[in-house]
Amino acid sequence: MKTAYIMRKEIRESVLTSKGFLWYILTSVILSVLSYLFLTNSELSLLDQGQMLYMIMNFVTALGILIGVVSGSDAIAGEIERGTLEALLLSPASKTEIAAGKLAAALMNWCIIFVISIPYLFVVGKGGQNLLSGIVYLAVLGTLLAVIFSAFSMGLSARIKSMKNSLIVSFLIFLLAGSPIFLSAALRTTWFGRVLDLVNPFADAINTFDSVVVDSQGFSYQTGRIAIICGYAFLSLLFLKRSVSRLEM
Amino acid sequence: MIIKVENLVKRYDGHTALDGLDFGVEAGDVFAFLGPNGAGKTTTIRILTAIIRADSGSVLIGGHDVFKEPAEVKKIINALPESSGYYEWMTGREYLGFFSDLYEGKTSTQDIRALLEAVGLHGKEDHLISSYSRGMKQRLGIARSLINRPKLLFLDEPTNGLDPIGRRDIHDLLIDLNRKHGTTIFLSTHLLDDVNRLCNRIAIINYGKIVRTGELEKMKGKGTIDDIFFTSTEGGTL
Ligand SMILES: Nc1ncnc2c1ncn2[C@@H]1O[C@H](COP(=O)(O)OP(=O)(O)OP(=O)(O)O)[C@@H](O)[C@H]1O
Ligand SMILES: [Mg+2]
Repeated sequence: MKTAYIMRKEIRESVLTSKGFLWYILTSVILSVLSYLFLTNSELSLLDQGQMLYMIMNFVTALGILIGVVSGSDAIAGEIERGTLEALLLSPASKTEIAAGKLAAALMNWCIIFVISIPYLFVVGKGGQNLLSGIVYLAVLGTLLAVIFSAFSMGLSARIKSMKNSLIVSFLIFLLAGSPIFLSAALRTTWFGRVLDLVNPFADAINTFDSVVVDSQGFSYQTGRIAIICGYAFLSLLFLKRSVSRLEM
Repeated sequence: MIIKVENLVKRYDGHTALDGLDFGVEAGDVFAFLGPNGAGKTTTIRILTAIIRADSGSVLIGGHDVFKEPAEVKKIINALPESSGYYEWMTGREYLGFFSDLYEGKTSTQDIRALLEAVGLHGKEDHLISSYSRGMKQRLGIARSLINRPKLLFLDEPTNGLDPIGRRDIHDLLIDLNRKHGTTIFLSTHLLDDVNRLCNRIAIINYGKIVRTGELEKMKGKGTIDDIFFTSTEGGTL
């Protein structure tokens, strides 16, 4: 219950604000541009439906991670910097309840982005046979990745107590995780590239999307990667719990 | 005794902030906690209110061990921290509502209104906190610290930055709380005027140790509070 009250406060503070709306407007603008390009550009439209859907899914996932990193960094360090944390710690809400409420609010951001993306996924992927399974995979893996990155940056912000520094570190990790997008396919097929892809939860997610919507492979092909992502989600939650439980002013 | 502190030690990377602190506070006291800058007052309050941990020693609040039963302690205490920030995007009323929600026995809307009135914020309760002056925020902070009707209230320099009228209002409010509700008040302050008007017992801390403690009236026999303060804290901390 306390968690719900803290979540409500966080949502009012960071989701339902002009800054929050800016994110959502930005999301839909970029998605509109991407979809428009996909559907009108003759060269791009050589891509099949599955590939276009795959690219939109990657983009939405990356955006979900990014917003998780930003709201996670602000969640605890921001309260310390604004001097509001001590009053919150004086209340009967435990540190775990506070962190859970904040994490839930950070995931709210992801949910909104996901919902915004659904019409675009339909427009781009309509007619393709893997549209629905793509949306289901995006919902599940996107949520897990949002958990991983929000919980990690929140835990980090509780440890280093500086919003700017934890944002910088988390953002670097975000770039590192996103780097496979920029690597050539050839590089990624070497054994070293494969190992890197496997230990990187973001790469695991987009490779799963690739396998599901482009190659039409079934669930049994995805279990390894999904297990790794679940492992990261578990570890990041553990990291968050430990970081806040030893939080001191 | 509502507060019993024994041999409390707190170190911040090598620097000893509290060096074997011992003192007690009786229920119903208005207890002044005095000392130069850096003496360890805020550190003590943070430990007693379960915000930070000590390295060793024991603290009993209302019979509960602060380190083992922080949740029990939080039910009967509350505090106004030294430098408190506020959710500037809330109104004063929303701010108190948010904190009252976190307690089991929720405060009714009438009680919240009464609380805002008691601290002198009537007419401002539906304004955004970002529009409040420093003194108004301080009053809101005090209202927040009373939201659970604490038996024991910690105030870390509560009249800091208030004008003489604001200070008098806060004094009156605290006297009222103590007399009518029997609230024990633990007051850290630099203003000896606060002490003279409010407190019946004092303790002076220097370099993380209690150097003087006792009843104000008895101590006054040996000079003014200023004299006692200066002679006890010669070469004070920083
Ligand atoms: N978070 C911290 N990290 C490192 N040192 C700290 C920290 N907090 C306090 N200290 C040190 O502990 C000592 C006691 O500080 P404290 O804030 O308790 O003093 P104080 O009596 O409240 O002083 P003031 O009257 O200035 O508020 C000081 O030497 C201070 O530098
Ligand atoms: Mg202090």
